[in-house]
Amino acid sequence: MKPTQAEDDVATFEDELRAWGSRPPRTPASVARARVAARLDDARQPWPWLRLAAASALLVLLVVAVWRGAPPATGVGSAVSPPPLDPNVVVWVLDARTTVYFVLSPDGSATGGVS
Amino acid sequence: MGVNSGTAALVRAAREGDREAFGVLVERAWAPLVRLARTVVGELEAEDMVQDALVVAWRRLASLADPERFDAWVGRIVFRRCLRVSRRERGRVALDALPEPTAGGDPTVGLGAWQLLERLAPRQRAVLHLTVVEGMTDAEIAPLLAITPASVRAHRRRARESVERMLRGGKR
Repeated sequence: MKPTQAEDDVATFEDELRAWGSRPPRTPASVARARVAARLDDARQPWPWLRLAAASALLVLLVVAVWRGAPPATGVGSAVSPPPLDPNVVVWVLDARTTVYFVLSPDGSATGGVS
Repeated sequence: MGVNSGTAALVRAAREGDREAFGVLVERAWAPLVRLARTVVGELEAEDMVQDALVVAWRRLASLADPERFDAWVGRIVFRRCLRVSRRERGRVALDALPEPTAGGDPTVGLGAWQLLERLAPRQRAVLHLTVVEGMTDAEIAPLLAITPASVRAHRRRARESVERMLRGGKR
């Protein structure tokens, strides 16, 4: 079957395209190889450093978040402020409601109580 | 690793950090990749883009599932970058500045292959190039452009129809 004019035109275009498209690159392959090789030195290195930097940043963020988000100190030692004590008195603060006093006396006897 | 080694062996060696092996792969892939990039983004940007893509390929070698398919894989990296540039550049090409087909006589006078190609969508250009210039089959083109063989056929048909219309003197 004889090709139509349109088919002829497309075939001519494809011949031109073949000639245009198959021209060799301006840079020879060996030169391109050297240029790419020169860029490979840094290509893989950033990743361990990036990972390390990201991990450090994450750790810092975590520490800051924990520090800022921590509830104010409560409980033992802060909710119950012990009264001024005699040097011979030992106080155990068991919890916010329970404080045990030991009073030491020279003769070995002890008095105290639970508040 | 020499220039006669198989692609898969070179890829495996390159994955282990063998730069010489990767160099051989670069040297082999260079010309076809530049030809493809040139067809999609033009002469000016093609070679730089292919060099960038090859550096990216070196970084991502571990993600290449089948070392035998290095060529299609790296071609896909190049083509994706071409698409990005092509979208960025869209609108910058003054189509009106291109010469119109002359009335009567040879309609392609003053309207070279690139000027016709430039009016096609990037995928259509790539499909035409890979078919006409590189002589690849649809099954070979499909993975390179990340489309199906049926899409390859559709892009080629539309590209040829557009070229035909342009050669007859009408715009797309």
